[in-house]
Amino acid sequence: MNGDNIKPFFLWKHLNKLRWLSLISIFTVLIYLPYAHLYQTYESAHAYDLLADSEKFIYDTMETITSPFIDDPIEDLDAIKGNTWSGTFFGFKLSDPLAVISQIFSGMTIYTAFLLTAALPVLLTFVFGRFFCGWICPATFLYELNTNLAAGLRRAGLKTGNRRFDRRAKYLVLTIGLILSAISGSVLAANIYPPAIIGREIYYAIALGGFGTGAVFFVATLMFDLLVARRGFCRYLCPGGALYSILGRFRLVRIQRVVENCNDCAKCNAICEFGLDPLRDDFGQECNNCSACIAICPTDALTFKIRMTDSHFQGPGHLGRQYSKAAR
Amino acid sequence: MKRRTALKFIGFGAAVALRPEMSIAATSSPVLRFLRPPGALTENEFLQRCIHCGQCGEACPNRCINFFDLENGIASSDTPYIIPREKACILCMKCGEVCPTGAIQKVAATMADIISKVHMGRAVVDRQLCLSWQGKTCGVCYRACKLPDVAIRVGMLEQPHVLDHCVGCGLCERSCIQIPQAIRIVPDVSA
Repeated sequence: MNGDNIKPFFLWKHLNKLRWLSLISIFTVLIYLPYAHLYQTYESAHAYDLLADSEKFIYDTMETITSPFIDDPIEDLDAIKGNTWSGTFFGFKLSDPLAVISQIFSGMTIYTAFLLTAALPVLLTFVFGRFFCGWICPATFLYELNTNLAAGLRRAGLKTGNRRFDRRAKYLVLTIGLILSAISGSVLAANIYPPAIIGREIYYAIALGGFGTGAVFFVATLMFDLLVARRGFCRYLCPGGALYSILGRFRLVRIQRVVENCNDCAKCNAICEFGLDPLRDDFGQECNNCSACIAICPTDALTFKIRMTDSHFQGPGHLGRQYSKAAR
Repeated sequence: MKRRTALKFIGFGAAVALRPEMSIAATSSPVLRFLRPPGALTENEFLQRCIHCGQCGEACPNRCINFFDLENGIASSDTPYIIPREKACILCMKCGEVCPTGAIQKVAATMADIISKVHMGRAVVDRQLCLSWQGKTCGVCYRACKLPDVAIRVGMLEQPHVLDHCVGCGLCERSCIQIPQAIRIVPDVSA
């Protein structure tokens, strides 16, 4: 056997589980943060006895959760604030590159302190590509659950949408969005960018008592994904995904096909959330290194490699050729 | 139309449209000023800077920062504002600290800095409604003020006089015992 010495590192197969853990924990943190803020406001009001029963419950729960780690909730819980659009993490501010770009266009000035908050995400994108979309984005968590729901509906005999459009549409959305931000003088991307919407809307729902219009928009994108195109918003419309794709075009860490191990079963193509074509070595700039294809590959034919460009189509998998030889 | 003329039109239009002071927001609507959090820039600059992340609201220990929905158009959706009658700003200055873009400027929580850098608005007393001005000694607004004798002072019968250093935090409006309130914050348009 030729392929035995090029087995990929065994942990790559389990990376997808780690990714789900990451998505779930980030979503949990987004739900935890508004409650932490409520706890802070109750604490700084010094009026535990005046709280309603539901508020007392929040206070007690948050006290139980946080008391092992902090002394003074009013000051110490300020360490983590915000959401995945823009947040503060132990005094270190992080922002989405899309926020920075839109802000530059809407204000027509470059504000250095804000520019630097996107430095780390941009650097990570240069190395790992569009990894934000697969590993961090809180909308991805819901969108992937939505994809699973669609699969369940199909199994139950209902029809779900699986149309395909031109993937370049999202670059058009990004361009038009930036031009409109410049014309209107405000950051419009925040209104249609799901990670920004989700962070805000969870806060509104928990701390301010109700969802806003953003939640309606997000449900509309969920419906679009379910009824028109699988994962359609991320694939065809998301401006942030477009920006990350451009930044991650020459990423260093890439998923590549090991042609010696491949048996052309095309499970990778079926599982790929972004509709890419791993089977024909067509990953392109839009692969988000989510490693779902590695996890599902039955013959360990996909692995991470460090290189600047994708390999060209390497031909049909060698394992498939061996099968056909054996059949003959 | 010749192609060259058309291109000229497009180029000129783009150049005009992309200048921030010529933007739609700046020309087509009068400057509406809402009561923004303390340290916020002027309204147009604020909208250009704000990325609608909502961190100011999340940092506010008094939970006085609300967020607009689409009622003022898409540009100001999800931007912070304060209704002082419901919950007023306590001038803790945490929102400026947490704001990543400087739409809400960082202001130290000292009296000198607050007086010179915070321009939310100014309190205005309605003497027809005010109890003290109607002869019933009250003075609650003066007692509520974070900057007594700097932003507001009381005269005979505790009659309030708003001074020039009023920053517009709204604690007086919040505490006014009259219904409707006899002292209101008028958001600052000029700053």
